[in-house]
Amino acid sequence: MSNFRIFAPLAIVMYIIVPFLFSGNDYLMGMIATALIIAGIALAWALLGNLGGMVSFGHAAFFGVGAYTSAVLTMDYNVPVFLAMIIAGFGASLASVFMMPALRLHGPYFALAILAYAHIFMILATEMTSITGGAAGLLSIPNLPVFMGFDFGTKLGGYIVILNIVSLALVVYHLIRRSTYGLALKAMHDSELATRIVGVPATQLKAIMLVVSAFITGCVGAFNAHFINFLDPEYAFSGEWTVIPIVAAIFGGYRTLSGPVLGALFIYLADQLVFKSLLPQGHQLILGALLGGMILLSPSGLLPIITNMFKRFSKKGDAQHVES
Amino acid sequence: MLELTLQAIYTGLLSGGFYALVAVGLALIFGTMKVINLAHGELVLLAAYVAYATESKLGLNPLLALPIAMAVVVSAALLTYFLTNHIKKDRELNSLILTFGLGIILTNSLLMVFSANIYSTSTEWFFEGVVIGDTLFSMRSELLAFVVGVLSLGGLYWWLNHTWHGRAIRAVSSNLDAAKLMGMNPKQAEMWSWGVAGILATLAGCMLYTTSVIHPPIGHGLTIKAFIITVLAGMGSIPGVLVGAFLIAIIESLTATFFQSSLSELASMGIFLVVLIVLPSGLFGNKRIH
Amino acid sequence: MNKHIIKSLSAVALGLSLNLVSVPAFAENFLLGEHTPLSGKLARVGTGSHRGILSAVKVLNEKYNGQHSFEVKTIDDESSPAKAVSAVEKLVSQGVIAFTGGYSSGIIGPASEAAHKANRVYITFGGVAGPLSKRGHEGFFRINNTAGYGKAIIGLISDMGLKKVSILYSNKEATVKTAEFVEKGLTEGGVTIIKHEFDGHTKDFKSIINKVKLQDKSEAILMVGYETDYIGILRAAKLLKPKVKAMIGIWSLATGKMATEFPTLMENVYGTSMLPFPVAFTTSEQKVFHTAYTAEFDNEPSYLEQFGYVQTLLLGEAIIAAHSKGEVNLKTISEELRKTDQMTLAGRVRFDENGDNPEFVQRVGQHRTGKIEIVWPLSAKTSDKAFPGTPWN
Repeated sequence: MSNFRIFAPLAIVMYIIVPFLFSGNDYLMGMIATALIIAGIALAWALLGNLGGMVSFGHAAFFGVGAYTSAVLTMDYNVPVFLAMIIAGFGASLASVFMMPALRLHGPYFALAILAYAHIFMILATEMTSITGGAAGLLSIPNLPVFMGFDFGTKLGGYIVILNIVSLALVVYHLIRRSTYGLALKAMHDSELATRIVGVPATQLKAIMLVVSAFITGCVGAFNAHFINFLDPEYAFSGEWTVIPIVAAIFGGYRTLSGPVLGALFIYLADQLVFKSLLPQGHQLILGALLGGMILLSPSGLLPIITNMFKRFSKKGDAQHVES
Repeated sequence: MLELTLQAIYTGLLSGGFYALVAVGLALIFGTMKVINLAHGELVLLAAYVAYATESKLGLNPLLALPIAMAVVVSAALLTYFLTNHIKKDRELNSLILTFGLGIILTNSLLMVFSANIYSTSTEWFFEGVVIGDTLFSMRSELLAFVVGVLSLGGLYWWLNHTWHGRAIRAVSSNLDAAKLMGMNPKQAEMWSWGVAGILATLAGCMLYTTSVIHPPIGHGLTIKAFIITVLAGMGSIPGVLVGAFLIAIIESLTATFFQSSLSELASMGIFLVVLIVLPSGLFGNKRIH
Repeated sequence: MNKHIIKSLSAVALGLSLNLVSVPAFAENFLLGEHTPLSGKLARVGTGSHRGILSAVKVLNEKYNGQHSFEVKTIDDESSPAKAVSAVEKLVSQGVIAFTGGYSSGIIGPASEAAHKANRVYITFGGVAGPLSKRGHEGFFRINNTAGYGKAIIGLISDMGLKKVSILYSNKEATVKTAEFVEKGLTEGGVTIIKHEFDGHTKDFKSIINKVKLQDKSEAILMVGYETDYIGILRAAKLLKPKVKAMIGIWSLATGKMATEFPTLMENVYGTSMLPFPVAFTTSEQKVFHTAYTAEFDNEPSYLEQFGYVQTLLLGEAIIAAHSKGEVNLKTISEELRKTDQMTLAGRVRFDENGDNPEFVQRVGQHRTGKIEIVWPLSAKTSDKAFPGTPWN
């Protein structure tokens, strides 16, 4: 119920109102699309954190692998862009398979192991010059294509694609959470030992969540490559692709479905549209203060604040109803 | 070949001492509170900038900046502690965001005050060579950083084992409830550990300024290196930090010597992963601070 | 103030409706756009370039005082490609007629792509990647390139008559390309090259220098990196004292900042520089720049400030020229820029059909007791080089 209450208006806003109001404004559409890129990673990260109980500090690894996979496939092998983006998801999943040994680690140990993997991938991308173009990177990566008569290479087109990726990720997340897997995962979260005794294969479940999370992140990374048309190792594997989504997810409330998405939209847009105009250089300062304040005042994230507002609002509405 | 190898190990040993100094403050807090202070590197950098300001504005030797830098950085560390302490829910995770936010504030404040320029000490004394047996070369500052690093870790180890406050920190870190039952005030122990971490960050910052070059974005990288060493060491183990730092630094310098410098981090990350997968709780895991 | 708002509003409206800016020929305020890294990892270079651009706008406004005026709107791209693209789009919506600025090919690539889509001229000195100028963008111009730096270094080393050189290079895009260019040129001239790659995280250069000293036994060390790298390399070299005859760097080395802040470390070190230091600003153009610059900022301008200044000045002059003939738009500004052929602070500038400057050749300076003398080419030298010479002997 609460999901529906948040998602119905969110879907209407994102699918109808935003394109209707801003489709002529490349600047805003590009900005919102970038916020959705962060939202996609944040969602994938929260899925792993929430369902798998694992905090990752290295989602940039999946983002970068996805980006490079898709860029190389489209540039060197003429694979159609949308197909390449899906393969990129599998590429990132494959990368996550290499990380499986880290699943036996816990808490910060796992988080750092994934960070180390991300770093290793970045160095490999720099050194494997023949495939990745090395430090020089890849320029002029193909745009998103014209598909069924619609040019997805525009800002509006890109926006629609990333919005669909994020929506699909939300659906997948929701379905997993509702399934028996989800129940098992939740149980595991409460007590891994207990579930193991009952016979739930904890490590396998965690592994599946890692693969799914990597897949989503890889697709988002591939999208970004075709949206910005550029990649180099430092950019593709930049720690920012890890840190900002984590901040966004926790900020929005990472235990909820909509929290990571709302958090990403809020953080990126507030920082770029509002704080940057207030303080052109060093506006991240305000972001930092806001993050700190948020954690101290509303530690479960942005969502409780919004729901509270809704509650107050609907209470008020109810009250008025009674009066009339 | 032998000459190259010896110098590589020597270089690694010296940087290892410095890495340990950077990491140990983070490890201490991580051990006591399970809080990862993502602003730790920025605190180190803050001390380095105080050293720079002291040298360039007052014309003093950057080492004389230590008392001022300590006052500044320890206050900043304590402020971070008080804020962290106000987190009501899910402290382990939420402290990440809080300290990350503080790190952003520090980096951007440094950028605004000191601009994006690069700075390094202009006191020549630090760069004079120290040559051992005509084969082992180092700068005075590097040797100094090593000595300060090893002595600080030794001092900390002694303090944790032989003083009341130190023992209180160990007690709180190994069993919070038991410590409370025995009448210890965990808040006070935590505060002490942050204060000491601030002092260690100050030492590291002054060494950073005298051995290397500073500019605003490097704080984050220092945090990551410190964190890796902390995890490699195993939950807040002080000897572990020293061993981990030496291991990472020596592998880096051997790789730079026998392969190439740009593969150093690949090698150190690889070793980090291997150690972690073989010993999931780090080199000196299972045991708490000791 | 009010008039100004109306003017910019109408420019926005025009820009939005036509996606082309055309203005009738009368006194006009020309709005330029700049995206540059003022924060993030490129903040230092971005700030330098930004200051040069501001000085150019000041000079242009003084020169055309009463007739036309220039204004530059700047957005910090935070060293990020996505934010640079957003910045370009936002500036276009605010009615800028052309772009100046940008640093790093990876950021300039997408940003200039966005400018291209919006039909705006884009001029820069911050990206040396080859493919940038081969995308068929009519309005893309850059005043420098890898070859210009490479040629100067090859020229210098050939003049020294060296047979074996070690190249230490950072694995960034511009540094890799430049190292390759120099390697190719020198190898063709019969010089043996040994390359050592390092990365941005490398702080301790003792291992590399020790290899140069004990294994390479080369006659000179060429450093292709950035300021922090140079300081690390030179300190390590001063410590280990390899038997080389020269320490040579590419950019960001023969600068006033390095000369003043690290005089003993820099002694006898070579690096590319258009002008000596302290700059004997002799020509009237140089004087104009220096006066404008020092009026605003208290440091000595380096190549970053000079190049940012030059590109913006050329752009401004092209806009004025286009304006005097009628319409100011992508086509007319590009046409005027392509007619450019003049001596500037950055040497001779002329643009080929790709918007590249084939005339770009750097000069080489050498640090000498807190000063920088130009020692290559012969035609521009202010002093003979101290050769052999290193910071330690």
